[in-house]
Amino acid sequence: MTLSTAAVGRSIPRLEARAKVTGRAEYVHNMSVPGMLIAKVARSNVAHGRIRNIDVAAARALPGVFAVYTGEDIRKLIAEPYYGPAFHDQPILAIDKVRYAGEPVAVVLAADAHVAENAARLIEAQYEALPAVYDEVEAMTSKAVVHEVLKPAGTFADLKHLKDKRDTNVALDFHLRRGDLGRAFAAADHVFEHTFRTQQVLHLPLEPFATVAIVNGAGDDSLTLHSSTQSPSFVRTEIARLFGWTDNKVRVKVPYLGGGFGAKVYVKSEALAAACAMLAKRPVKFATTMEEQFYMITKHATTLRIKSGVMQDGKITARECEVWWNGGAYADIGPRVTQKSGFTAPGPYDIDNVHIDSYALYTNLPAAGALRGFGIPQLVWAYESHTDMIARELKIDPLTIRRKNILREGWPQATGTLMRDAALEKVLERLAQRMQWEKPFQRGSGTIKRGRGMAIGFKASISPTTSMAIVNLSADGSCALYSSTVDMGQGSDTIMAQMVSEVMGIPIEKITVVHPDTDVTPYDMATLGSRSTFHMGHAVKNAAEDARDKLLTLASEVGLSAETTPIPDIFKKKYGMLAGNIVGVGSFVPSYQSPDARGQTENATPFWMIGATGAEVEVDTETGEFKVTRLVNLVDVGKSINPAIVETQISGATVMQLGFTLQEQMNFSDGHVTNASLADYKIPGMRDIPPMENEAVDAEQKSGPFGAKGVGESGTFGVSPAVANAIDDAVGVRLTSLPLTAEAVYRGLREKAGKPLKDS
Amino acid sequence: MNITRTINFTLNGEPVTAQIATHQNLVEVLHERGLTGARESCAQGLCGCCTVLVNGAAVSGCLYLAAFADGAEVRTIEHSENGELDAVQAAFIETGAFQCGYCTPGMVLMTRQLLDAHAEPSEDEIKHYLSGNLCRCAAYPEIIKAVKLAAAKRKIERKGAK
Amino acid sequence: MTPFELAEPTSLAEAIALMGEGAGIGDNAARAIAGGTALMLMMKAGVFQPKRLVSLRRVEPRYAEIAATPEGGLRIGALATLTALERSAVVKQAAPVITQTLKTLSNVRVRNVATVGGALAHGDPHMDLPPLLTALGAQVRTVSPKGERTLAVGELYTGYYETALAENELITEVLVPPLAGLRVAYKKITTRAADDWPTLGLTVALQLNGGVVADARLVVSAATNTPTRLAAAEKILRGTTLDTATLARCGDAAVSEVELAGDAHGSSAYKRELLRVYTQRVLREIWGKS
Repeated sequence: MTLSTAAVGRSIPRLEARAKVTGRAEYVHNMSVPGMLIAKVARSNVAHGRIRNIDVAAARALPGVFAVYTGEDIRKLIAEPYYGPAFHDQPILAIDKVRYAGEPVAVVLAADAHVAENAARLIEAQYEALPAVYDEVEAMTSKAVVHEVLKPAGTFADLKHLKDKRDTNVALDFHLRRGDLGRAFAAADHVFEHTFRTQQVLHLPLEPFATVAIVNGAGDDSLTLHSSTQSPSFVRTEIARLFGWTDNKVRVKVPYLGGGFGAKVYVKSEALAAACAMLAKRPVKFATTMEEQFYMITKHATTLRIKSGVMQDGKITARECEVWWNGGAYADIGPRVTQKSGFTAPGPYDIDNVHIDSYALYTNLPAAGALRGFGIPQLVWAYESHTDMIARELKIDPLTIRRKNILREGWPQATGTLMRDAALEKVLERLAQRMQWEKPFQRGSGTIKRGRGMAIGFKASISPTTSMAIVNLSADGSCALYSSTVDMGQGSDTIMAQMVSEVMGIPIEKITVVHPDTDVTPYDMATLGSRSTFHMGHAVKNAAEDARDKLLTLASEVGLSAETTPIPDIFKKKYGMLAGNIVGVGSFVPSYQSPDARGQTENATPFWMIGATGAEVEVDTETGEFKVTRLVNLVDVGKSINPAIVETQISGATVMQLGFTLQEQMNFSDGHVTNASLADYKIPGMRDIPPMENEAVDAEQKSGPFGAKGVGESGTFGVSPAVANAIDDAVGVRLTSLPLTAEAVYRGLREKAGKPLKDS
Repeated sequence: MNITRTINFTLNGEPVTAQIATHQNLVEVLHERGLTGARESCAQGLCGCCTVLVNGAAVSGCLYLAAFADGAEVRTIEHSENGELDAVQAAFIETGAFQCGYCTPGMVLMTRQLLDAHAEPSEDEIKHYLSGNLCRCAAYPEIIKAVKLAAAKRKIERKGAK
Repeated sequence: MTPFELAEPTSLAEAIALMGEGAGIGDNAARAIAGGTALMLMMKAGVFQPKRLVSLRRVEPRYAEIAATPEGGLRIGALATLTALERSAVVKQAAPVITQTLKTLSNVRVRNVATVGGALAHGDPHMDLPPLLTALGAQVRTVSPKGERTLAVGELYTGYYETALAENELITEVLVPPLAGLRVAYKKITTRAADDWPTLGLTVALQLNGGVVADARLVVSAATNTPTRLAAAEKILRGTTLDTATLARCGDAAVSEVELAGDAHGSSAYKRELLRVYTQRVLREIWGKS
C-alpha cells in the first residue's frame, strides 16, 4: 500500500464533472423505460372543501388514456394511503376532503404525455366549501380545522402525546424554560419587544420532482423506484409500509439530482408513482412540472415575537421567543423544524433567562418542510434584526452589542448544551475585520444613502440519526464506495471519495462512488441538514479504515509488508491471481440526549454550524430602491475537505437566501398560488448577484471526520437581517417583514417624513 | 386533420428522419432519440436548461415546435467535434462552474454563442448572453470565471492554429 | 398541448386565406405562428387550443428584411427576428434606442426566434417595443383579405391583450419615421429581479429646438392596459427649458392623468411615485445629453 499525496483539503474537480458538462449526467426527470406510462395530476381548485364528486368520464373517454384513478381507487390498493415523516397525514390522492388549492385529486395515465395532460384538464370535481385558515397565528385558535384527528407517525417521541387529538391545528408545541424570566425582566433596565414575519417561498430545483416506478416480475409484489429523492432509505421503508411489505420488496435507485435544497426529502413523487404502477401493472413515470413544484413543498412562513430584557450596557439578561410556523396542509417535517430550530430561537447569545414557545401549525396552504437552513434563516432574521433595534435604541454599536453577548467556547446555550468547536467569536471578528467595521464609513450623498449591517446565526445538527457505508477494495487496488448519500450538487460524491483516498492511499481516479440503490448501498437517514460531511463522512472514514485494517491483516497473513507492497501483489499472493475483495464497513451514530420537559439537554447536537453576513447597501431616497453593493460571508465549517466546493456552497447558499430576502414570495389569493412560474416568481439570475466575498474561517471540528463539519446551509443564516440592518443604517427605515422591497423602504421613508403613502 | 409528419434534419452532424406530432416540441423529439442534455425545466424559455442550437442560433427547445426543425441543422450539448471537451467545457470544469449540473449544458452552449460573437467578452456582454440562463445552485460567480477562462483558452487555441 | 394541423404556406396571401371566416374551420380556431415563443406558452398552459396553426416561416423572405428608408427612417419586416433587429447596423444608425431596448428584452434565445410582428401583435401590455414604437411615431402596415391598411402603433392596442387586428389580419412591416433629432429613452423599471417584466415602462421622446422643447411624447406602459400617452405632461413640456419647476409639474401631471394598476410588482400608489420620479429623471437625463 503506497500512499498517494493527501486527498483531503484539496480542491479537486467533482468526480462527475465531465458527465455534467457533456449533458450526459443522469437525472430521473429525463429518464424513460420501455412500456412506460406518464402520470399527470388533476388538482384541487379550492383551499378547503369536502369532495362531493370527481367526474373523470371525459378524461377516461379521451383516446389514448390508459387509466384514471382517484383517492378511492388508491384506497382499494392501500387501505390507509397516508404518508409523512412526522404524521401519517398526507393522502396519495385526496380522500374525503381537500386541504389546499393544488392538492392532487385524480391522476391520468397515458403513454403520451400530452394525452395525459389534456385528459387531466378534463377532470372536474365538486366540493362543499369549508372555512379555511391561512395565517399561522390565526390557526392557533381558528374554527377552521385542517385535520379533524392528528395521526403521529410514531417516529418521534415528542409527538406521541398528539395521537388522536381532535380539533386542533397545532402539530407540535415545543417549550424551553431556563432561568427565572419574570425576575430577569423585572430587573432589566430596558425591555424591548418586536414582531417579525417571513413569507412563504420555495426550493425550485431546476430538476423538478420525478419518480419512475417499475413493478418487478410476475409476482407483482415488489417495486423498483428510480427517484429524485434525497432520502432513498426513508422512501424504501415508507413505501413498503404503505403496501404492508418488508423493506426488501422496494428498491430505490437515485442517480444525480438536479438540485434538492430540502425539497426532495421524505416521500414526494414516489407514493403516487408507486401506487399507479401497482394499479396499472405498468411502469409509471410521475414527473412534475415547474409549476407543480409550487404545490409540493415550500418553506415555512413564520411569525416571530421576541422580547428581551437588556441592561444599560447592552447585556441581554432575559429573552422570550414565540414562533409560529405556517406548516400548510401537511406536516411533512415541520414539527422537527419547530423543535430542532426552535431551541436556537434566542440566538447565539449568552442569556441566562430564556423562554421559548414554538408552534407547528396546520393551515390550508401548500405544505412546508425543510429548506436549506431548516428554519434557522427565519429565526436569525428575527433575532438579528432585534439585536440591531436594541443597539440603535441604546446607542450602542452593532458590533459592540454582539461582542458583549456572544456565546463563547464552553458556555451553555439555551438548552444547557455547552458550545464546543463553535467559532462564533472568530466568525464575528473576521467579519468585522473584512468589513473594516471600526473604520469610518462613507455614507453617500444626494439621493443615494449608504449603510451597512451585520448578522450572525448558528444551527444545531441532526440527531439521533444513523449512517452506514461500505468500501469494497478490488484486487487491482481500485475500490468502490457504497453509500446512500445523494449528490444533488453539493459535491458529496467527490468529498466522500477524497476521504476514502486519504485513508486508503488510493488515488481518486481509482475510486468509484456507487450511487444510492437500496438493494446495494447501505442505510443512511437522508441527505439533509448539512449532515453528510460529518455523519456519512464518519461512516465512510470508518469503512475505509476497516478496509485498510483488513488489508494490513491480509498482508501480514501472507508475509508481506502492506507499507511497501503494491495492493495487487498482496491479493496475488493470497489468491494466486488477481482475485478477491476486501470489504470494509463503517457506521456512525452520534451521541445525543433528548431534551427534558423544560427543553434542557446536555447534548443537543453533534456539532454547531456558524454563519455570518455583512452587507453594504445604497438606498435611493426618492424611490426606496436599493442595491446591495457588497456581501461578506463568513462561516465555520471546521476543516474544508474540498475548499473550492465549500466556496460554491457558501455563495450558493447566500444567493439563495438573498432571493428569499429580496425577490421571492409565493403570492396567494384565497389560498390559490397566483405566481406559480419562473415568470412571476423570480429566483436570482446573473444580474441579481452583488459582489460577494466568502470565507471559511480557520477552524476545526475536533469530533468531525478530518476536522470537518457541514457547510450547505451556513451561508444562508445572516443574509436577510444583514441587509435589513444595512437599510436601517442607511436611511433609518426598519423593515420587519420579508421580502425587503423597494416599496416597503419607500413607505418607511414616507412614514418617517410624516407623510405616509396613501393607497387610494 | 393531419397531426403527424416526417421531418428531416441534421442532428449533431448526422442526417436524421423523425416521425413527429405537430404539437411536439424539439426537446421531446431529442429525448425520443436518447439525447437528454437539453431538458425542459421552467417550460417558459426563461431558465435555459433546454437550450439547443438550430442553424447555429440558440433557441429554447421547450418553446420550439419540432416541426420547425425540418431542414435545419440542429446541435445539442452531446455534439462533440472529436470526442474531446472543448475550451468552454474544460473551463467550466476547472473553475467548478456548476453544482447539480442541470443547467450546465445550456450554460455551456450559451457561452459558446457568446464567445463566437465576442472573443473577449466584457462583464456586460457575459451577462447579456447568460442572464437568460438560471442556476438555482447559484454558481454564477464561478460561471463568470469560466467564461473568462474559456475566452483565454480559445485565444491560445487560435494562436496555436496560426 | 392539444394536437393541431400545421400549415406552412409559401406566401403571405396563402397564409391569410388559411385563417379567419373564409378558412371554414370556425372562430379563433386558426392562428398565425412566427417565432411562437408567446403562442407556445398559451398552448402549453391550455388557454389556447388551436385547430390549425399557420406558420409564417416559409413565406416570402422580403417580410423579414430590415432597411433604412431614403428619408432616414426604418422599414422593418414583421418577420425580422428580434435578434436581427438588435444586430442591425441600420437600426443602430437610425434609432439606437431600439438597439438599446432589445438588450434587456427577454433573453437571447427568445430574441433569436421571436419576431417583431409577433411582439407587436401579441398585445401584451408589459412588452417593451409597443410603447417605444408608439413614442417614435411608428406605423404598422397590415394585410388581410380586405386589403392592406396602415395604422399608428399607438392605435394598434385597444385593451388588455386586445388589438385592432382582425383574426386574419397580419402585420407585414413596421415603418419608423426618421428621428430627425428626436431624443428618445425607454426606461424599464423592474422592482424584483433585474430580468423581469417591468413594474413600469416609461418612454420619453423630446424634440428640442434652440434649447426649448419643441415637442414631447411620453408613453407609460406595463401598469396600464395599453401603452398610454401622457398628453397633459407633454403639454407642460412644450416651449419650456426643463427647469426644476417644470420637471416637477410634469411629474405631477403624469401621475394625475393616468390610472396605474397595482400588482405583485408594486401597489398603484407606489407606481405613481415611481412615475413621478422617473418622468423627471429621464427627462433630465435626455436634456443632459444636449
